[in-house]
Amino acid sequence: MSPEKRGTGDVAVEAARRVLGDGAAISEPRKLAGGAMHDSWAVDGTVDGSSRELVVRVSPAGRADYEKTRREFEVLKVAFGRGVRCPQPIDVGRFESGEDYLVMSRVRGDSNPRQLVTSDQYAGARKRLIAQLAEDLARIHQISPDDVAAAPNMRGPAAGEDPLAYHRREAEAMFRVFLLNPHPAIDWAFRWLDRQIERLPRPQRAPCVVHGDFRIGNVMYDEDGLTSLLDWEGTHIGEPEEDIAWLCTRVWRFGKNDLQAGGIAPREEWVRACEIASGLEISRERVATWEVLQNIRWAEITMMQARAHLDGHTQSHELAAIGRRTAETELEILRLTGVGARVG
Amino acid sequence: MQDRPTAVELLDALGGFMRDRAENARDRWERFQFQVAANSIGIIKRELELEDGFMRAEWAGLDRLLGAEEMPKEQAALAVRLGERNAELVEQIRSGAFDGEAEARLLPHLWETIVNKVRVASPNEAL
Repeated sequence: MSPEKRGTGDVAVEAARRVLGDGAAISEPRKLAGGAMHDSWAVDGTVDGSSRELVVRVSPAGRADYEKTRREFEVLKVAFGRGVRCPQPIDVGRFESGEDYLVMSRVRGDSNPRQLVTSDQYAGARKRLIAQLAEDLARIHQISPDDVAAAPNMRGPAAGEDPLAYHRREAEAMFRVFLLNPHPAIDWAFRWLDRQIERLPRPQRAPCVVHGDFRIGNVMYDEDGLTSLLDWEGTHIGEPEEDIAWLCTRVWRFGKNDLQAGGIAPREEWVRACEIASGLEISRERVATWEVLQNIRWAEITMMQARAHLDGHTQSHELAAIGRRTAETELEILRLTGVGARVG
Repeated sequence: MQDRPTAVELLDALGGFMRDRAENARDRWERFQFQVAANSIGIIKRELELEDGFMRAEWAGLDRLLGAEEMPKEQAALAVRLGERNAELVEQIRSGAFDGEAEARLLPHLWETIVNKVRVASPNEAL
């Protein structure tokens, strides 16, 4: 087989061999449910009689972003060392043929969020989960920018800049790139955000590492609750309120809209759990402001996904349909900013 | 004039097919794909039934915010001009024209147009 023709499963086996050595017996790779940008494979290896269970995530040539993969690896390394429940990162690298890979330990558990939020079998897990998520999030937020100096390009606010102001500016830059048609409500929401940022007291804490995609769909669990926090691709520098608010965004509640925090707990119970776990005072107003910004970001993701189809990058009726979910997100933005209560 | 079934009746038939395939899917991936397809059929159907009225209401709202203008009679021209007027509205919002007291005129229009979009795209989320 020529190197250009090999699939990501072959790349996964080759990456596992780099980690385990030429003497290892390596199983057939098994494809795992995964994102649009990468393929993840479960690979088992046996070295000198002991077995290793790995996940190898492969980014195909052309879609690979080695700097980003290395960033994720370096942050995972620090988080794992601090006791955060997350995959242990083992190796990161790339092949001359263009693919890059991340090798991690395989953690047991399920990651289907709908089942977690709605099934009776996981009622006990849901009860425990809020405190567990708050604990691990507090551990992540104790990581300072200096602690992850080895991670390339950790974007974040300049010294002394309000993280909310920085990420609001980034979100608008993204919006101008991805929008497919005018969205007066989102442009109004940016002005609302500016007034909020002007009005709110500046945070007194130093910026910290944030997970960057802290939602219920990235939680791996079993009947005892949290087993692993997945998908650290979005990690960057920010403030705790950003991750806290992202878990509350309406789109991932699976219909449990009275349980704003990921469909498993009321928003206030979640914020309180974060305060208890971290010992920090969490500003409800900043969380509320972040939740508006996070919904704008979700609206941008829906546009980006629709655009991937419309540009012919990835032909997909599913991506096309996501483009029509921008509207429900705009409606949520108007609810969160109080417009619904004023005029609805 | 086309024969029956009408476009809406054809879409109903297609939607029924998609839902049936979702219920009898071989795996989770296939079930999800057919559910998404059935949802898209539903969006098209509701848009055919509702969008005419929603576009007129949006035009009237823009008239109140940007000044009155004669509405194009032809549907495609109306859609193009609505897009242009929305871009004008965005420019005015960004320039600060709807800050302060003027905001009270803007917000009902934003709410109404977005509720109408949601009635087509995801009616379960509408209220």
